[in-house]
Parts: sequence; structure tokens; C-alpha cells
Amino acid sequence: MFTRARVVRWGVPAAALLVVAGAIGAGPVIAAVQGEPQLPELTADQLLTEVGARWGGPGSMPPMSGTIVETASLGIPALPAVPSGPSPLALLSGSHELKVWYGSADQVRLAIPGPMSEQNLIYNKGQAWWWDSAANTATKIKIPSGTPAPAPLPTAVTPPDAARLALAMAESDTAVSVGNDSTVAGRAAYELVLAPKAPESLVRDVRLAVDGETMVPLRVQIFAKGAAEPAFEVGFDSITFARPAPENFTFTPPPGAKVTEGDLPVLTQERPQMPTGDLAVTGKGWTSVVTLPFDATQFKDNPLLAGAKTVAGGKVITTKLVSALITDDGRLLVGAVTPETLEKAAG
Amino acid sequence: MSTDERTVEAKTPVLSGDGVVGGPASGSVPPVSGGGATAAAGAAVSWHEKAADAGSSGARDSALGGDRRAGAVVSRHGETAGSGGEASNLGAATPMGEGPGGALSGAGARSATWRATLRLFRSEVGLIFRRPRTVAMLVVVAVVPVLCGVAIRIFGADGEALMAQVAGNGLALGYVAFSIMTPLILPLVVAVVAGDALAGEAGLGTLRYLLTAPAGRTRLLGVKFAGIAAFALATSLVIVLAALVTGLLLFPVGPVTLLSGTTVPLLDGLLRIGLITLYVTLGMIALGTLALAVSSFTDAAIGAIVTTVVLVLVSQILAFVPQLDVISPYLLTSWFQRFDGALREPLATGDMGQGVLAFAAYIAIFGSIAWARFTSRDITA
Repeated sequence: MFTRARVVRWGVPAAALLVVAGAIGAGPVIAAVQGEPQLPELTADQLLTEVGARWGGPGSMPPMSGTIVETASLGIPALPAVPSGPSPLALLSGSHELKVWYGSADQVRLAIPGPMSEQNLIYNKGQAWWWDSAANTATKIKIPSGTPAPAPLPTAVTPPDAARLALAMAESDTAVSVGNDSTVAGRAAYELVLAPKAPESLVRDVRLAVDGETMVPLRVQIFAKGAAEPAFEVGFDSITFARPAPENFTFTPPPGAKVTEGDLPVLTQERPQMPTGDLAVTGKGWTSVVTLPFDATQFKDNPLLAGAKTVAGGKVITTKLVSALITDDGRLLVGAVTPETLEKAAG
Repeated sequence: MSTDERTVEAKTPVLSGDGVVGGPASGSVPPVSGGGATAAAGAAVSWHEKAADAGSSGARDSALGGDRRAGAVVSRHGETAGSGGEASNLGAATPMGEGPGGALSGAGARSATWRATLRLFRSEVGLIFRRPRTVAMLVVVAVVPVLCGVAIRIFGADGEALMAQVAGNGLALGYVAFSIMTPLILPLVVAVVAGDALAGEAGLGTLRYLLTAPAGRTRLLGVKFAGIAAFALATSLVIVLAALVTGLLLFPVGPVTLLSGTTVPLLDGLLRIGLITLYVTLGMIALGTLALAVSSFTDAAIGAIVTTVVLVLVSQILAFVPQLDVISPYLLTSWFQRFDGALREPLATGDMGQGVLAFAAYIAIFGSIAWARFTSRDITA
């Protein structure tokens, strides 16, 4: 009798644990129970035309605000040396969050929250400010009139931007199909699947989730061949189609902050030393290979090179999505293709 | 009454060396000297008399209000040699606090119960805050923001933007203080009080006598939890008040610059710091609940405290291993510092909301573990 009472008592924490575990796991389960959202049927061509008409060119977006999450798992070792801040290298691994407020083409705010810091790009009617709370600097950015808002970072890719790139690819040798409708950021979305036909491409397909109502790209996923999880994904975590409050687009440098004028400091300061010289692209579309001069000695201690495999004529680094070949004669060949293709391109 | 309690309590640590309090052990306890002992023994006797014919609510009240001190004193005189077994049975049999004098009925009984619980809570809060140890910890907690402010004032704030903010606006010292203290000092302080809550009383031998009062184990545990929560709130308030007063005295105070670069009025800034204070308090209550659960498994308070601190340290070290990023959302410590959303414009509630949910989950799980353990264990010491 005593033991039974005990069992009953210990049932309470067990139940509490189950409830918490259930609450954590409920999201996917609820999504599974709800099943696919119901959207009017569209063929691949209709969807491509519909999306391409809006996003193939300089697209127009309805006023919205939301949170974008970008996740990369290219299969390269995690880089502890990489600062978790908004460095272009940070794009290569891990998950990053970005907040976006979009009023119109000339009213955009992007915020990159960090631990106890925040970076903001505020673009309002031809005037752009870059605010870095960690450095306590406000930079007024000179923009030639008539150009769209600049992207603050290579990492700050919005799903519509990524969709534009993917649609440009779709013009080459691509099988276009419609995937299952899905729910992204709580909205019913069509899925457009773009699969390269070339066998040497490492990309299995690129999946675009497009909002069923507004046709705004909500998520772009790149799947490598033979991988169940996307190698790269950028998508809205939450999105609201409503005009953001005007305060978001006004910026006055706070008292005490350093105010400068110039370019985006991040782009000039933190850009890795890009090799200067001729940059050649061979092939086209999915299988294009970029060739550039490269001095391997400069990167001797780089953890990326430590995992390189030696082949005839150079060293090969393979990730799930991208291969790179460093030739002994000082060239770097990069492409989303098999290493053999790179070797062939190197000649 | 309170002076008597003090005198007896000052003697209590003498007991802890023996660990076991019971028939034979009580003989080895040094006799309590002075008028304090007599008065407290008197209280103990009166409790016994009243408990014998506990029919009126007054008797219940005084039984609970009579405090654990009475029980402790009784043990020293060896009067309750046979009641040890009773103590554990009593608790097990009456988990909901229905004492032996359960003749009370209706609203009167309920309000009497509430009053009794309130008294027990007041006694618990008094016990926590009147300890020299607690006072010392609160002083340390208050001194850190002051030192921080003085250092920034004297040496300036080169480089570190957060510190530079403090130099520009004293209010910023509020959240600087929290971001300095939440990783280690605050969890340590809370672990000391919460880890001691049950194990300390068990170690001193006061727990079994506390349970002979018709308080019931569940209610006693609830009171212990409330005491920890009160302490967590007090610590956070001490930090924020020390920081704000220091900031006010040493630096200019005005509109507040947020992380987003937006400047908001002073009152808005104060409200945001208040929000951070509440968030940190809830986090510390969650940690305190974990320590309370650990505390219910042992009779050695120091064991419970060290276990909790080690858990905090280990989970903070795990957060540095990038390969273990997957488990970091499930670690309590990774949520402690997620209050920076309060300093963004518009207010970023996402992270803080998730943090609050994580804290609530920890409180629910470890609170129920503490309950299951405490209501089913045999109190032997």
C-alpha cells in the first residue's frame, strides 16, 4: 500500500515531464495532424510564371515585417575561430536570425540581433543609416540615388533575394515541378521544386515555398544529393503582412554615439581578403565553375584546408553542396559540382 | 518571542555537527543555556498542551506559528523520543495539511488554514533573511553593481560599448549589473538559500519536528518554495536598486538609448529594466526549484548547494561546445541572459517569452520531483 502511494506520487513529476516534452514536440505533431494546407491546384508552369512574373525582375513586395532564420549545414567542420557576429564566414555554418521591416521599396529596416548587441540597417527614402550598438557607431551611408536599398551583409539574404537567384538558375537546364503544399511561418504555401538536370551537379533540388495568397517567397531550401536535411535554408520564421510602424524607419543617431559617413563598415572591414585578379566563370547555370587565383600559403593554418584531400595536381575540399579545388599552380576552382568536374575544368 | 527564537537559533549550528537528532543523539547535544532555553521550552510545552486538545483554530494557529524552534527545543529535552516515527507517518498520512484537529469546517477552517500558512511563510521568510549568511550575500550582491559603477567612473569605459553607455547614462548600469551577475553570482546565492531549504532542516534535525506540527508536507514544501521565490525577488531588487542608485549618483541620467539605437524616455527605460528584473527573478526561481528538488534528496545542505552550483557550471561549459548547440535550448542557464529583447525597439518578446516558458517548465518538473520525494520519504534525521 505504501509503495503504491509512492508510485502515484512519482507519477506527478513523470506527468509533468511528459507534458513539457509534449509541449516541445507538439509543433510537428500538430502540423502532421493538420496535414497539408488546401490551396487551389497550380501546375508547375503556372506557378513558375506566377512567381517569376513577380520575382524574376525587381519584385514588389507588400508591406510586411518578420523574422528570417538562415541555417547552413554544408558539412564542413564547425569553425570555432569564426566570431558569431555578422561576418561573411559565419554564413558557412550554424543558424542566424535576422529581422526585417518592409514598408515599401524605399522604406526598409533590417536588424541583426546579437547577444546584448544589435546591428541595424535603416533605409528611408534615399537615406541609409547603419547602426552598430557594440561599436556604438552610426554610419550615414552614401547611396547613389535611384539604387535599391543595399544589402548589409552577404549573410543577410532574405527569402525573396534567394528566390530571385534560384529563379535565375531555373532558366538553364532545370526540371521544374510542384511539390507538396506546406505551412511556412504559419502560412499556407506552394512549393516549387527546381532540380538541375546535369548529373555532375551536387544540388539535388532547390525548393521554394511561396505564400499561397501573396506569392511572396517564404522559404528557400537547397538540398544536396543524398541528404535528407537541406544544406542551406533561408526562410521566414514569422511574418506579418501589415505596414510596420513608421518609427521603424526613422533613425536619429543617439547622443554619445560616434557618427561617421561612408560605406557600410561591415563590408569594407570584415570582408575576407578576396584574391585580386581575374575571375573566370566556366560552364553555366547549375554547373558553373568559378576560377580565381589563389595563394594557398596565405591560408596554411585555415581549418578548412586541414581537411583537404590531395589529388593529382592539387587539393580538393568537398562539402555536401560545394567542391573546391586548389591547384598546385595557384588557382582556386569552386562550384556546386563534383570534384571530378573541377579537375576537368582545371585541365 | 523573537528574542527567544534568536537565542535558540544561534545555538542550532551546534547541533549540525552530530547530524542525527534522536533519542540517543540528543544526549550528546550541549545543553542550551540561559533564559532563552527556558522560554522556548515553555513555548514547546504550551504547544503540546494545546495540540492535545486542538479543537479551536487558535490552537492550530499557535501550533504553526509556534515555529520549528519549539520542536527543536523539545528534542533537546528528549520529550518526544517516541514521536519520530509519528512525524513521518503524520506527514505521509496527511499530505494536504489536515492536522489532527481536523474538526474545523467550512470557510472558517479555510481562512484559518490560510492564516496558518501565512504565518509559516512569515516564519520561513524571517528564517531566511535574518540569517547573517543571507545578509552577507545580499550585501555582496549590492556591492558588485556599486563597484562596477565606481570602476567605470574612475577608469572610464574604453572599448566596451555597454560600459560606455553607462558613462553616458546611469540607468544603463541596471542592465549591465544583471548581465554581469546572472551567469554566476546570482545562481550561487540562490543555490545557497534553496539548497539549504530542506536539507538544512533535515541536517539540523528540525525537519521532523516541523512536520509534527499539523502543517502537512505539501504545505511546508509550498512555503519553502515561496520563501525561495521571495529571496530571488529580493536579490534581484537589491541588484537593480543598488545599480540604479549608483548610476544616479555617479552618472548623468536621462533618456535611454536602446540596443536598436532608438532613444526612449526615462520612464520607458525604467519599465524595461523592471521587466528585466522580473525575468531574472523568474529564472532564479526556476534554479531555486531545481535546488529545492536536490535538497529534498539529501540531509547535507552543502551537498545540495554544491550539486546545484556544479550543475550550473557544467551547463554553462556545455554551452561553449558548438557540437552541443542542439541541447542548449533545454539547459536552464542558456536562458538566464536572454533578457536583451527588452532593450530592443520594438520590444522583442520572442526570446523572453520562450525563456519564461523554459523557466515554467523547470519549475513544474523540479517542483513536482521535490514534492514526490518530500512527501514520500522517511524523515529520519
